[in-house]
Amino acid sequence: MIAATELARRHRLRWWEALPWIASLACFFAFPNYLAFGTQVLITILFALSLDLVLGYAGIVTLGHAAFFGAGAYTVGMMAMHWGWNEPISGLIAAALVAGAIGLASGLVLLRTHGLALLMLTLCTMALLEQAANMGAAWTGGFDGMPGLSFSKILGLFGFDVLYYRSQYLYALAVLFACFAIVRTLVYSSFGQSLTGIRENLLRMHAVGAPVRVRQVLAYTVSAALAGVAGALFTQANGYVNLAVLSLERSAGVMIVLILGGYGRLYGAFVGAIAYMLLEHVLAKAYPTAWQLGLGITLIVVALFARNGVIGIFDSLRRRIERSAR
Amino acid sequence: MLETKGLCKNFGALEVAREVNFRLERGARHALIGPNGAGKTTFINLLTGVLPPSRGSVLLEGEDVTLLAQARRVKRGIARTFQINQLFRGLTVQENVCIAVSERLGVGGSMLRAAGRRADVLDEAARLIDMLKLGQDADRRIIELPYGRQRLVEIALALGLQPRVLLLDEPAAGIPSAESHILLDAIATLPKDIAVLIIEHDMDLVFRFAERITVLVSGAIFAEGTPAEIAANREVRSVYLGSALDG
Repeated sequence: MIAATELARRHRLRWWEALPWIASLACFFAFPNYLAFGTQVLITILFALSLDLVLGYAGIVTLGHAAFFGAGAYTVGMMAMHWGWNEPISGLIAAALVAGAIGLASGLVLLRTHGLALLMLTLCTMALLEQAANMGAAWTGGFDGMPGLSFSKILGLFGFDVLYYRSQYLYALAVLFACFAIVRTLVYSSFGQSLTGIRENLLRMHAVGAPVRVRQVLAYTVSAALAGVAGALFTQANGYVNLAVLSLERSAGVMIVLILGGYGRLYGAFVGAIAYMLLEHVLAKAYPTAWQLGLGITLIVVALFARNGVIGIFDSLRRRIERSAR
Repeated sequence: MLETKGLCKNFGALEVAREVNFRLERGARHALIGPNGAGKTTFINLLTGVLPPSRGSVLLEGEDVTLLAQARRVKRGIARTFQINQLFRGLTVQENVCIAVSERLGVGGSMLRAAGRRADVLDEAARLIDMLKLGQDADRRIIELPYGRQRLVEIALALGLQPRVLLLDEPAAGIPSAESHILLDAIATLPKDIAVLIIEHDMDLVFRFAERITVLVSGAIFAEGTPAEIAANREVRSVYLGSALDG
């Protein structure tokens, strides 16, 4: 029964899990001039968290996750532009539903494949959506996208605009917290355990009678919905949406975030997003023409010496300490 | 209980199962032996649905399950272990067993309750872990365990499914001989109505365990009978047992 207690202990809420949220609130007061940047970091964390669910937990390798980010971003953009629907929270829900539906439909087809075929098909899904957004100019603004979008007050109380950085930041933080609670519940549930099983050994999961593809499609759908929420937040916070939200650069960027932070570790998205965006911010200021070089070198160092990302370093340290304590 | 009728499997021109008519009775303790390459593991793969047969059928309790997917056959009570360990290597022993038990209890898809709070799953997993003397390793990851201990986890996963038919593919391979009794003890505790089919090269274990033995050679049934009949069969001794028993 010792082990049973151990598993229960690991799934319990731990004191240090409050730290990211306390730090986020502390940043609100400590760096009032950087709240716009902070909002972008929070959106990136949410996007990376959604990718972590499929890549880190279910082991589904995708290069097209921006498809869902973009779907969410365009959903709120089009609702605001064409229907005058600019209420933020219902916009998020609509974005989640649209992105989730696209995730479900594409997942049912794509997840019949594995490996390189899957990688290519996820890329194709994103490219198809990007082209659809490019060609449907009457609805999406085409290449120019939809600039100058405005959104109404949050809950009718808090001003929400590109100029209201404080509201934006707290709003993004609240949405991230709610989405994180969903992801945390999922990954520590039996469903999450079975996703990890699928990642670890597909053959064995079939042999224990798990409906593997159903679980994969479900995870893919939830992940797509969360990425859609991140995309919707992006549009609401920036007041515009264009084709860049559906680009390979965005998909690759979020994967780099996870590799930096450590995938399949829940908090890797936090560490990776902060590290990536800070690096990008600092390097772009110091070396405006060669900042990507610094980012590339960092990534190579992480890939060579810390394959499980920054969180992985802490994990192996903890394991070493536990082993020596035994 | 589990039966095959004219089961055949070809890989191109290569016939790995040839007209196999096999019957595993309820509560049987049956061994499948044969030289390397005889098609024993392929036969298990055909029974479990990992491979589709080229011809013939698989029946469970008289019902044709030939077209059922592997996971569906597991739900109907066919569980197996693998010749080469197929475990969740990055997870702990307990998490491995919990995954199997969760699937059997039908809670593997539950999204709301933390896996660490499922007392029914945890208790069952702890019982299996204790039964296979894995208690001290319960919280260790599979990759940290010696191969022999991993074999016992394989058995625990199969037992966690509470099967009606248990197919063990060389379960004792890699288990130190001093620990092979743990395996036999675990099988001895199974309810008597569970049919167990074991593939094994360790003839000592086979003759201690089996009440009936089938000899497979080149994908076809070569002989079948009680351990005494098989041991006395000259042809079996010449094609397989001679070397195995002498060795």
